[in-house]
Amino acid sequence: MGENDHATIQAVLKGDKEAYGVLVAKNSHSVFRVAFRITGNEADAEEVVQEAFLRGYRKLERFESRSSFSTWIYRIAVRCALDKVNDRRIEESKRVVTDSDPEFDTVQVADEAPDAERLLLNSEMSAVRESAMRTLTPMERAAFTLRHMEDCSIREIGSALGIDPNAAKQAIYRAVHKLRQRLASLKVNT
Amino acid sequence: MKHLTEDELIDRYYGDDRANAAQHLENCPDCAHAYAALEGDLADLRPVATPLRNASYGEQVWSRISPLLPARTPHIPARSFRGRWLALGSAAACALMLATAFYAGRLWEHRRQHATTATAQQPVQNHVVVVLLSDHLDRSERLLVELKHAHPDDSQIISPLRDEARSLLASNRKCRQQAEKTGDPALTKALDHLNELLTQLANQPGGLNAAAITRLQDEMNGDGLLFEVRVLRSRIPTRQAATMSHTKGGTV
Repeated sequence: MGENDHATIQAVLKGDKEAYGVLVAKNSHSVFRVAFRITGNEADAEEVVQEAFLRGYRKLERFESRSSFSTWIYRIAVRCALDKVNDRRIEESKRVVTDSDPEFDTVQVADEAPDAERLLLNSEMSAVRESAMRTLTPMERAAFTLRHMEDCSIREIGSALGIDPNAAKQAIYRAVHKLRQRLASLKVNT
Repeated sequence: MKHLTEDELIDRYYGDDRANAAQHLENCPDCAHAYAALEGDLADLRPVATPLRNASYGEQVWSRISPLLPARTPHIPARSFRGRWLALGSAAACALMLATAFYAGRLWEHRRQHATTATAQQPVQNHVVVVLLSDHLDRSERLLVELKHAHPDDSQIISPLRDEARSLLASNRKCRQQAEKTGDPALTKALDHLNELLTQLANQPGGLNAAAITRLQDEMNGDGLLFEVRVLRSRIPTRQAATMSHTKGGTV
């Protein structure tokens, strides 16, 4: 960790709340990126960013200067994003879906993104991709995203998700297996 | 020949494979075909571009979360072993003193029971006043802390500050009347002082803006209003304790 980050954290712990703003400004982009990739939704990602930095502030005493602040807050963001996906899944399971039309299933994309992103997501491949990702459990989705899109190592994924590295690996295997099955059926339908 | 499993192909894709997997792929057309299919599928799952955030995104996030963060008391390092025993000893001595005081109080209470019944109503009323004042000073302190740390250019902070100031004006008036009635000049003066700031926050001509917030922050820092409110708050527990013990003596 840079000396500056260390000094900034010490200042926050001594009561200088404003100093935390420096850490927030420095790490917001990377936290947003991983939050967006795991949640797949811009509005959820913004909430995750906010929640991650709030949790980080509350837990700052527990921060160990062996690791860097950016790695530490990144892990917190991953957990927050996982919680968000879990919450969303629970909410969705409460909704009564009566429409069993397979077409409905392939184009239903939860999305609160602005128009530019909406257009992109509505393109056929994006809809297929998102539909496939929806077959995963939150843990599988997070593990796969970290491996496939964030290029994290198995050890880093285990640490970020609070699971054994072997469990992280198994989650990735299951995710890839499910995604391929789903892609195959979607490609046949389209 | 034993073919590679899907898990082994996935390991190969992410570079976690064993050395002989690459060699096997070179010699086995079936596995090479399966691997090419896996590569194609995973390529389809490459991420969409992350929505862009501008250079000041970090500051925007900070301005959103900063009002939500509680003030932090300085971190105190863990006590030494000897210090811990001393603290435990002190705590035990305090507990013993409290138990003794409680027992003595019960005895005293018993003897005074008849004498205090007649005056029971008055302390209850006093207690309500003390609770109102305590609540008012708590909220005022919070508002002053928020104002002190508010970023003048943050337009989102203006409306909550103004609404809270308007709400506090009414309770400030009640507390001031009560302070005047009970003859507490220090409290009356401080509440007058607070009233001026609340009025400016609530009814700033032309609305609150960055310049007005900066001016109010300077005024507040210059005249020590926050400190004054904190001193008044610190006096509350003494008053409350006195009133509570009186009340208890009259009702038991």
